Amino acid sequence: MSYIEVDRVSKSFGERVAMNKLSLHIERSERLVLFGPSGCGKTTVLRLLAGLEIPEQGSIRIDGRVVASAGKNLVPPEKRDLGMVFQDLALWPHMTVQQNLMFGLNARRVQKREAEARVREMLQRVGLEHRIDAKSHQLSGGEQQRVALARALVSRPSILLMDEPLSSLDDERKRAIASDLLGLQSQFGFTLIYVTHDRSEADMLASRVCQMRDGRVV
Amino acid sequence: MGRTVRTENIVLWLCIALVAIAGLVPIVVMAVESVRHNGHFTLDHYRELISSARFRPLFGNSIQLALATTTVCGLIGVPAGILFAKSDLSLRSGFMWLLTVPLVLPPYFVALGWARVVARIGTIASDWLFGFGGCVLVLSSVFLPITMLLTFASILNVDRRFEEAARLVSGWPGVLRRVTLPLSAPGIVFSIVLVFLLAMGELSVPSFLRYPTLPVLSFTQFAASYNFGAATAAAVPLAAIAFVGVLVESAFLRDRDYTFRSTGQTLFISLRHWKSPLAALTAALCFALVILPLSALFADAFSPAAMHEAMQRAGASVVRSVMYSAVAATILMALGFLLGHFMRGGRQRVLSAFTLALFAIPGTVLSIGLVRLWNTPGTWFIYATPALLILGYTAQYCAVTTRLSLAGLMLIPTSLDEAGRLSGAMWARRLFRISIPLSTRTLVCAWLAAYILCLRDVPIALMTAPPGGDPLRARILTLMANGAPPMIASLCLIMAIASLIPLAILTRVIPSRGIIE
Repeated sequence: MSYIEVDRVSKSFGERVAMNKLSLHIERSERLVLFGPSGCGKTTVLRLLAGLEIPEQGSIRIDGRVVASAGKNLVPPEKRDLGMVFQDLALWPHMTVQQNLMFGLNARRVQKREAEARVREMLQRVGLEHRIDAKSHQLSGGEQQRVALARALVSRPSILLMDEPLSSLDDERKRAIASDLLGLQSQFGFTLIYVTHDRSEADMLASRVCQMRDGRVV
Repeated sequence: MGRTVRTENIVLWLCIALVAIAGLVPIVVMAVESVRHNGHFTLDHYRELISSARFRPLFGNSIQLALATTTVCGLIGVPAGILFAKSDLSLRSGFMWLLTVPLVLPPYFVALGWARVVARIGTIASDWLFGFGGCVLVLSSVFLPITMLLTFASILNVDRRFEEAARLVSGWPGVLRRVTLPLSAPGIVFSIVLVFLLAMGELSVPSFLRYPTLPVLSFTQFAASYNFGAATAAAVPLAAIAFVGVLVESAFLRDRDYTFRSTGQTLFISLRHWKSPLAALTAALCFALVILPLSALFADAFSPAAMHEAMQRAGASVVRSVMYSAVAATILMALGFLLGHFMRGGRQRVLSAFTLALFAIPGTVLSIGLVRLWNTPGTWFIYATPALLILGYTAQYCAVTTRLSLAGLMLIPTSLDEAGRLSGAMWARRLFRISIPLSTRTLVCAWLAAYILCLRDVPIALMTAPPGGDPLRARILTLMANGAPPMIASLCLIMAIASLIPLAILTRVIPSRGIIE
């Protein structure tokens, strides 16, 4: 049995079919890159795994537990033990970098002292400990990417979902963050599911690449 | 070589001049007049006011009433706004628009409705209604939609990605508390400040329910005693509180002005087993605050005799009401759109605070200022015509159309205007060919909102309408003293229909979309 099993999942948005009986098996600690043109359903796979969308047909199993099946989310997003970096990063603009990272730890009732230590360690890991009190609009594009990555990982999730997070960066920054990401993955051992339409990103990060077209893996 | 005067700047200054003539100059004149007597500087009016036995209790009553109304509106309106914006509550759209009805009617209608209800219950209820408790009840139902609708709108504006990011690590209570509400705080705080200021300056309800407040004193000095100095002195503290309120709001909003990339969709909370109890509770609220008083008010409005008498005695007032409101709404729509356009271009803070202060100033205060300014032999053509009334509406409500227009304009990418500029189009051409065609829904909303506000307004209508040219809500107030109750009820019904038609159109213009999680 695979760590994550997506079994004949379908999803439509009105008339548009985003996913058509898609099946996908992902092993623990794998680095899977979903690669394909815009609108092929890559982001929908991530959102379904995260519990932000509900599959119309089929089921999703994570670590042996059915988390969603036709028309129902059986496990809410916050109970799925995953982190996500959104395409537009979605850093909360009213919070500082520290508060952005603390939010998930507070929600999971991690002791304050331990939470602060983990935030500091994670910011050190992404080279942003000096920006701890900054708000998102005070950060550069690259710094915002790193904060989003740190926020997704500070709760030590088993799965990290990334939705084209590097698409707006230049090649040099892309390579630097990809290298950071690989280091973090080898340190924490999370399963990485990464969505992109850029072949070079896929090659940099993947241990396996799945090509998608019209809501299916081809 | 001289500087080229751009059309854009000319229009901007014309707009500012109109707002200044309609609002700023009357307030300044009023403030100056309050410290003058026979051409000399004096503080006598203030001395008399402060030393009079009535001032402190009346000021205290006004503050108490405003605080109690704001508390009730905050405690009910904010949760109701959250519920309607974020949950899958059954019939939420219907409940929301039903609760909005009292806001679009003249405030004293609800008081009149409650008076009919308590007349059937007995003396104890009547004693309670005609006093502080009744005023809080009526003003809370009238102003509740402000906190509810602004909370609703602010929450819908929050980019759902922020909530989705939070949902990955927290349940809905945590997401609401730490993400949704803080990001909606500017709108919610604005609604609370607004309710406080509106309740503080409300005239018709305390006057009808015989609860003495400062606006009632100011109006009485103005209309009954013809003591302009005393009326002005009583109005100045109200104006000062309005300015302080606007400053408090501006101070709070500093550094909290978040710009979102609106996705046009919101994330809904599934209420599951709470759905039926919450629907029942909301239905009970709608019944208590809207259906009960308004059905009591309109109960005997439908008799043909009453309707006939109503039309005979106030038919012309109905036409005047609709006409004045429509003209004012058209001016307000155009002015608000232009001001919104300029504010988007960076001239935001001063203009925004200025128009908001005019909105927050009680209508009685603004009206006294307008009468003081224009009641001269040389300006009779304004004072004795509906122009004065329309100037009053323009000053009081331009903040609403300006903010609505600004919100609509913010949704249009600036690159569209920039592309027009690069292709050589001048400001006016870009305005008419790009901004206005892309803002038709915003313009319709602004016109309808302005029309409703002008139609429901009481103090400006009461104090600035030309002799023999009073609008309907002023005429109803006059007729209430000696008219038969069924005829009054019929007049209220006619007025309500004139107000509710645009509300019904608004419900069609503003769609609600969302995704149930």
